[in-house]
Amino acid sequence: MRDYLPRCPLRYPGIRLSLVADVVEVIRAEDPVGRLFSPDGTLSEAARGELGLDAAALRDLYRKMVVIRRADQEALNLQRQGELGLWGQFLGQEAVHVGATLALRPTDWIFPSYREFGMAMCRGIDPAEMLTLFRGLSHGPWDPRRYAFAPLAIPVATQVPHAVGFAMGCRLKKTDEAALVTFGDGATSEGDWHEAMNFAGVFRAPVVFLCQNNFWAISVPLSKQTAGSIAERAAGYGFPGLRIDGNDILAVYAATRAAADRARRGEGPYLIEAVTYRMGAHTSSDDPTRYRLDADVQAWSAKDPITRYKAWLMGAGILDEGSDRAITEEAEGIGREIREKLLRLPVPEPGEAIYGRVYGNPPEPFLREREEFEASLEQD
Amino acid sequence: MEATMAKAINLALRDSLAADSNALIFGEDVGALGGVFRITDGLQKEFGDERVFDTPLAESAIIGVAIGLALRGFRPIPEIQFDGFIYPAFEQIVSHVAKYRNRSGISLPITIRVPFGGAIGAVEHHSESPEAYFAHTAGLKVVTPATPSDAYGLLRASIADDDPVVFFEPKARYYVKDTIDQAATVPLGKACVRQEGTAVTVIAYGPTVQTAIQAAREASKADTSLEVIDLRSLSPLDMDTIMASVNKTHRAVVVHEAPVFCGFGAEVAARVSHDAFDLLEAPVQRVGGLNVPYPPSRFEKLYLPDVDRILEAVDHVLAYG
Amino acid sequence: MADQTFRLPDLGEGLTEAQLMSWRVEEGAHVEVNAPLCDVETAKAVVVIPSPFTGVVKKLHAKPGESVEVGAPLVTIESAADASEKSPGTLVGYGPGAGPEMTIRRRPRTSAPADGPGGEVRAAPFVRQLARERGVDLASVTGSGPGGRITRADIEAAARTAPTAPAPATTGGERRISVVGLRKAIARQMVRSVSTIPQFTEFAIFDATTLTDARAKAKATGAAMTPLPFFIRALASAVRAYPLLNSSWDEAKDEIVVKAAVNIGLAVNTEKGLLVPVLREADRLDLAEIAAQSARLIEGARAGTLTPADMTGGTITLTNVGASGPVETGTPIINPPECCVVGFGAIKLRPMVLDGQVVARQGAWISISVDHRIVDGAMATEFLTALVDRLERFDG
Repeated sequence: MRDYLPRCPLRYPGIRLSLVADVVEVIRAEDPVGRLFSPDGTLSEAARGELGLDAAALRDLYRKMVVIRRADQEALNLQRQGELGLWGQFLGQEAVHVGATLALRPTDWIFPSYREFGMAMCRGIDPAEMLTLFRGLSHGPWDPRRYAFAPLAIPVATQVPHAVGFAMGCRLKKTDEAALVTFGDGATSEGDWHEAMNFAGVFRAPVVFLCQNNFWAISVPLSKQTAGSIAERAAGYGFPGLRIDGNDILAVYAATRAAADRARRGEGPYLIEAVTYRMGAHTSSDDPTRYRLDADVQAWSAKDPITRYKAWLMGAGILDEGSDRAITEEAEGIGREIREKLLRLPVPEPGEAIYGRVYGNPPEPFLREREEFEASLEQD
Repeated sequence: MEATMAKAINLALRDSLAADSNALIFGEDVGALGGVFRITDGLQKEFGDERVFDTPLAESAIIGVAIGLALRGFRPIPEIQFDGFIYPAFEQIVSHVAKYRNRSGISLPITIRVPFGGAIGAVEHHSESPEAYFAHTAGLKVVTPATPSDAYGLLRASIADDDPVVFFEPKARYYVKDTIDQAATVPLGKACVRQEGTAVTVIAYGPTVQTAIQAAREASKADTSLEVIDLRSLSPLDMDTIMASVNKTHRAVVVHEAPVFCGFGAEVAARVSHDAFDLLEAPVQRVGGLNVPYPPSRFEKLYLPDVDRILEAVDHVLAYG
Repeated sequence: MADQTFRLPDLGEGLTEAQLMSWRVEEGAHVEVNAPLCDVETAKAVVVIPSPFTGVVKKLHAKPGESVEVGAPLVTIESAADASEKSPGTLVGYGPGAGPEMTIRRRPRTSAPADGPGGEVRAAPFVRQLARERGVDLASVTGSGPGGRITRADIEAAARTAPTAPAPATTGGERRISVVGLRKAIARQMVRSVSTIPQFTEFAIFDATTLTDARAKAKATGAAMTPLPFFIRALASAVRAYPLLNSSWDEAKDEIVVKAAVNIGLAVNTEKGLLVPVLREADRLDLAEIAAQSARLIEGARAGTLTPADMTGGTITLTNVGASGPVETGTPIINPPECCVVGFGAIKLRPMVLDGQVVARQGAWISISVDHRIVDGAMATEFLTALVDRLERFDG
């Protein structure tokens, strides 16, 4: 174990809580996340038994993974058929999407990057409506406040400081909310990531940093992205980090829940490095055969999060062939519904789509430009 | 030879690496993948991974280390993957790449390649036109080609130049083919007349040059003769070529994809109004993007300048009699 | 049943074509939505295209190895679905060339220049310049352009018909005269002179006896001559000796530009106003040539037949001050961007002191105004002395 935590004035009644951590001496961290895992990052059997999830809840985790994978495939097909401009598959990362989202309270904000379609579905955002973003009809149609799900962040790592600021705000408002920010291994190279990590440590922000280490930033492998460990970087910023098996949905669930609860208790940020694998291309515009071997992808398919969890559920008698078939059929139906609904969604009115959300208090010249623009529109 | 602009740029990079052993290419995914637009395709294979290499995902550091490499005697050609991803590097470009010579007397022969512009049906942050930020910054040269041939010549000239250059590549034109002449030199700071005409001068650059030429073709059907100028370099700006044309036409329209408000066209319009005040028969018109963030791609054709909107501006300047 | 044709989409943001690698279906085969149709290679990747329709493959539009343009038909499928239920066109993925099936476009506005701030006269800078050159009063022209704008054609028409001098307008006891054309040009030039050039003036009287004798001699040979060619000749020679007087101040660069040629501007009073035709390279001409050319220029200026070339390029100006009447001399104003202007008065008998005696001799005032940024008093005096010396000892 490392010594992580700066001494926290919170623990001494009578000392006024300062927003800025008062680093007097470094003391041994209490790490409620780390104790759930064995040194190789796997969830211990004991911890597995203490999750407090009943059979229905455990089956629901599986069902959600199957559904979002099917939706992911439908989106890729729609892109190949010219109905979406671009698609970034999350194939292979379903355990992180479902496990982390379900471990949070619905009011805990999630700050995603651009691949978290599965997380959005788990939050209840309509998948067909969300796909309008990739269909060129919107920049993101959902209200982030309704779903506690921030807009997708396409420029890498830019959402990380947003999450930290949000968490600082939760602390200032003395709520018991936590924020979760998720990003890839590539994002940990960006300055924004490091600056945000440092702020989180200094302000003891209740934020969970969830790295989806899928080994690839487009064509650049993890080995060329960083010469060190991602999880261990947290120590340098004064809080703990842990590398876990990101293809084990229960491990993701347990770690996220423990880290979020710890944050809620005012014990500060936590970095989870969930090791997974990007089974698909970076996006539909990418050609991974140029830079990685099929054999590597095959090796990872043996660790597929859905296959593994299914085997575990069946072994535990929670899932049988019949209920599995029902889930697959349900997912097929959802895939079809997404297609049908998306293709029927109307094209928004251009004036509203282009001008409608730019300003909350639109200035006069802006309104005049919009009027002129709308007056110039005609139907062919 | 016949080539796409993508291939022309690839050839210019290849020939530059072959010509100068200190030339280096680096950035996100430029190695094995050959760049997200395949512009650096095959270069790592040919020149090795010490001269063409992938970097971690960090734009500020890509430009920052380019400065260090230049100080150590290299001629860096970093790539920024997309226009909308250049902003983390803004400080390094504006505060250091642009100003290093002025602070130290040391030239930085860095050419920063940036795919820019819209009209490719992309998601957010992939269709931006940030050229005015950089043209506004003294110490930088800002260059953008409109044809495969110019892409080759201008990139060779940019890399050979000892001053830093921000080289904006119109990504919507990447896969359009044309004849290229590797022997022809294209100097920085020289605009060219793409199409001769007499009634109105249409000034464009990068992706809008082709639109302006199409507009000229349309206008000629109504016996209106447009002269199309391709700026090629935004900084330095070739006022001689513009003035020679305005001297003839007395009317000017400037076109770009970036929003009109504080766009590069404002500089062109102000300069023409200043240098040619007594020659103008109508105020200079600007045609460009709307004053909004780049819209969802379904609406981008309503946002971007097109033939109709250029002709509308042409009609406007002609309406002054 | 309806035929649905699937066109090749832009599979990778900005692509224009793809090469068909292989078909995974045959004509006549039944396909389901999302069943693989074919493999294509784009500039970015090799990808499998799944079918967007359920139905029977009716026609494959390309062969393996062929290149297919984005937007070109790929496959036609006879589908059970009603074609009207299809999505409203392929909306994205259309590549930079082919447009999507847009149903909305922007209609160009019918273009009329906006009504600007309500000035009395609306005309473009070029038109105003043209009006100045043609001596046309814009206020007297009715604009035929949009919003009453005065056009180039309006000026040209007005220049053909309008009297050269604008009719003065009267209001109350005052008379207001529109300042246009040459009057305005002179006004601008003079304002520019006194507002940008710090100038000072020196005066001298010279003994013109020798010069008068030379004139008489020339007259005897039949070559009637005014004093002007003698002044020009003396001035050209003096300027050669003091080249700094033949220069201009470059305000943009803060540099003095010393001119190579001595081009003497001759201020000529005409009906329209003061004109300054230029005698080029006066220092290379002999007296007879100077006489002939200056006569041509002065006549041309009065007749209005000079070309712009005759009116430009002066490096120093010569003017008459008090050629008639009681006036002896005055302070000439520099013709910018020149450095010096020289004014000559009338030659007539004046009391002069010669060998201690007051005697009547031919004499005239001479004055020079110079740009103090270029020339100080001492040099001005030296130059004026040299000029007087050349005039008093005139030897052709």
